[in-house]
Amino acid sequence: MEEVDRILIHSLRQVGTDVGEDVESVKQFTSELIVEAVVRCLRVIDPSLGSGLSHLLPPGMSARFRLGMSLAQACQDLGYKGEIGYQTFLYSNEPEIRSLLMFLVERLPRESAEASDQPAGKSVLLQKAIADQIKAQLAIPWLPPTCRLPLQCKTQSRGPCHRFYSQPLSVPYSLKVPQNKQSKEVKEYYRDFLPVVTAQPSQPISVPASLLEHHAAELSAAQEWELEWNSQGLLSRLTPEEYRSRKRTRLQRRIEEQLRVAAQPRPDSQGAQRSTSDLAELLQSFGGASAGGDVLTKGTRFTHTEKFTFTQEPEKSAQQMAAAASSMPSSRQSEEDLRAQQQEEIAALQQQLHQLSVQMEEVGGDMRQLATSINQVTEELKELEKSKSRKEDLVKVKKQTIDLLPDGQNNLVKLQSLVDASVKRLESLKAQWEKHKAPLLEEQCRLNELCSDQEVESSRMLAEIKELHDKIRQSAEEAKKKEALYKQLLTEYEKLPKDVSRSAYTMRILEIVGNIKKQKEEITKILSDTKELQKEINSLTGKLDRTFAVTDELVFKDAKKDESVRKSYKYLAALHENCTQLIQTIEDTGTIMREIRDLEEQIETENSKKTITNLEKILEDYKAIRQENSTLAAKIKEA
Amino acid sequence: MELSESVQKGLQYLADAVHFDLKSFSAFTEVAFGSLVSRSECGLDHPQLNHIDQSVLKHCHIATTTFILEGVKQNADKSTLSSCLEDVSFDAERIDVFYSSYQHHKRSLETLLESIGGSPPHVTDVLWRLDYCIKNSHVHKVNQPSYLISFHVENGDCGTSSKEVNFNCTMEQLQDLVGKMKDAAKSLEKATQS
Repeated sequence: MEEVDRILIHSLRQVGTDVGEDVESVKQFTSELIVEAVVRCLRVIDPSLGSGLSHLLPPGMSARFRLGMSLAQACQDLGYKGEIGYQTFLYSNEPEIRSLLMFLVERLPRESAEASDQPAGKSVLLQKAIADQIKAQLAIPWLPPTCRLPLQCKTQSRGPCHRFYSQPLSVPYSLKVPQNKQSKEVKEYYRDFLPVVTAQPSQPISVPASLLEHHAAELSAAQEWELEWNSQGLLSRLTPEEYRSRKRTRLQRRIEEQLRVAAQPRPDSQGAQRSTSDLAELLQSFGGASAGGDVLTKGTRFTHTEKFTFTQEPEKSAQQMAAAASSMPSSRQSEEDLRAQQQEEIAALQQQLHQLSVQMEEVGGDMRQLATSINQVTEELKELEKSKSRKEDLVKVKKQTIDLLPDGQNNLVKLQSLVDASVKRLESLKAQWEKHKAPLLEEQCRLNELCSDQEVESSRMLAEIKELHDKIRQSAEEAKKKEALYKQLLTEYEKLPKDVSRSAYTMRILEIVGNIKKQKEEITKILSDTKELQKEINSLTGKLDRTFAVTDELVFKDAKKDESVRKSYKYLAALHENCTQLIQTIEDTGTIMREIRDLEEQIETENSKKTITNLEKILEDYKAIRQENSTLAAKIKEA
Repeated sequence: MELSESVQKGLQYLADAVHFDLKSFSAFTEVAFGSLVSRSECGLDHPQLNHIDQSVLKHCHIATTTFILEGVKQNADKSTLSSCLEDVSFDAERIDVFYSSYQHHKRSLETLLESIGGSPPHVTDVLWRLDYCIKNSHVHKVNQPSYLISFHVENGDCGTSSKEVNFNCTMEQLQDLVGKMKDAAKSLEKATQS
């Protein structure tokens, strides 16, 4: 009981009830305390129910009565099953109060414990860190700039800020070329000339930014490679180097195609002809480039065309400048002459230009015509060559037959025999080939099967590898999560208040559970004993009745003849009668004892309800209400 | 804390007693921290480091400086740093030497990292003037108040440069502004509680 009371008092204190320090048990609760406790609990459980009730017991009796009724109503609304009325609050007794308070305390909303079951995600941790930092900064009072000492400058304002500016760094190792394959010159450069990495950026302030950026780039490249290798690389069943080189050639080919498509010659732009020739050179250089090296030479079409057009143009513009300089008028010539001269020049140049363009077109046309005629002629040449070779063959055959003609008959026979021999040879070769073919076919089938088996095997192993990868990843994640959870719970545990010892409670609970188990066992034992006794009693009474009936008959038969037998029969009947009475009295004593025990218990409970004091209080309050009623009636009469 | 492969290799060189014995390790640690913290450009010539191959030294320098910056960036505690260093087979003595230098320089490294980024100027003082416009050339009767507000702002350094932001607003706009500032203050307080 004390434990229950302590827990109740602790929870009530947490809700906000002002329970005094010396109040140890529910027996010592006064009516005011009870009302305050109940109202505060109601306010926490359901604000709408509890908001209309004040937690102080009003002095007037009718107000008190009203408050008691509304509290009882509210508790019943919550679902309290026991009997409750205004008397529970105003004229309280211990068991009722205890059960009511237990019911309310159980209904108090629990702090959600789910949040601490899962490890807080990274964003939640970050939020918490931010909140802590903001709290710390809000706690520092602000000083105006004129009052700041240099010591406090850091906490008051941010200090000079620079943008995040990173510069690429050169590192003394190469990620793509392993160390033993680096050339001697490169190694020498790394050793003697490469500046230290903190001295490489142009401003010392961008050193951290550059270093962090470099590191993040390496990390993300490694992660992307992992991802790609695990998803596509393993499937392609190549070694990493082969996979990488295949990817590189594929990308090069795609770039070539795109550039080729974009560089189709357009008839309207004059500069296009120059650019396509340069582009063709560029594409050739793609095809011939070696697969090694760190950087893929990607020249955009535009930079190359720019390069080439501008190399032409500076020459042209230089020539033009020289021409213009030579024709620069001297200061003596008038402006109109100058203008007229310029106009003439312009006209002359335009005519030249026109002529030149016409010439160029003619020349272009001629070139095309000549090209087509060249094509035609080469084709004719090819055809003539073919016919020539055919005719040569014919001539050879005819020559041979002419040579063989003089000795006609013999040659005919010889030729016939040759033909027969060759036919026979053909057949024998065919047979040999068939003989050879069969085992080779078998061999081929066998190897095919082997190949397919191996493929099946390798795909199965790939699937296993993938599974293992997934499992590894999952268990690594779980381990990380559990570690984070452990750290978080540790910090929370240190933060938790230690006033209520949970281990004592758990031990008590376990003890109580053990006790209850023992009691249950004892009760079952007693019950079984009682049952056995009852059975015995039943069987004995049965036996008794039967024996008495038999003896009765026996004796009665003889009683008619003999006097002593009659007397003994009378004694038997009296004995039986007395014994039955005795048994009856014993049973009655037993029931009466039980009733006594019950009544004693009831007396105890009634005593603890302090009914007498409550009745006295009720009488007093009744008198007070009557007085109030009379005063109110008097007031009404006056008014 | 994740480190890339090259950084781990560089730290492994450092852990190796063949390349660096304890004295040169301590000298190297000091040089590494110094190169980050001090603004002047300093190279890696320290008398005790001259016997080590320079390209290895430079690799280790990059690895160490990256490791230090990552640690300060994530505000790593001793256990994280020690576990990372133990992964690359540092022994306990070297870890202690490294950690003591780290603690010593941590504040200045934090200042260095904090100085990256931008912040808008801070308001330090306010001067205001209330004007009342009676009439102007378009309208015969205006009768409206207006406020001329001047914020003294400071940016960055403590108190040397102080600029002014001047503006003019009606009463509603000023009420709006004050309301928004109160909202901002409240949301900051709410952020500390969540």
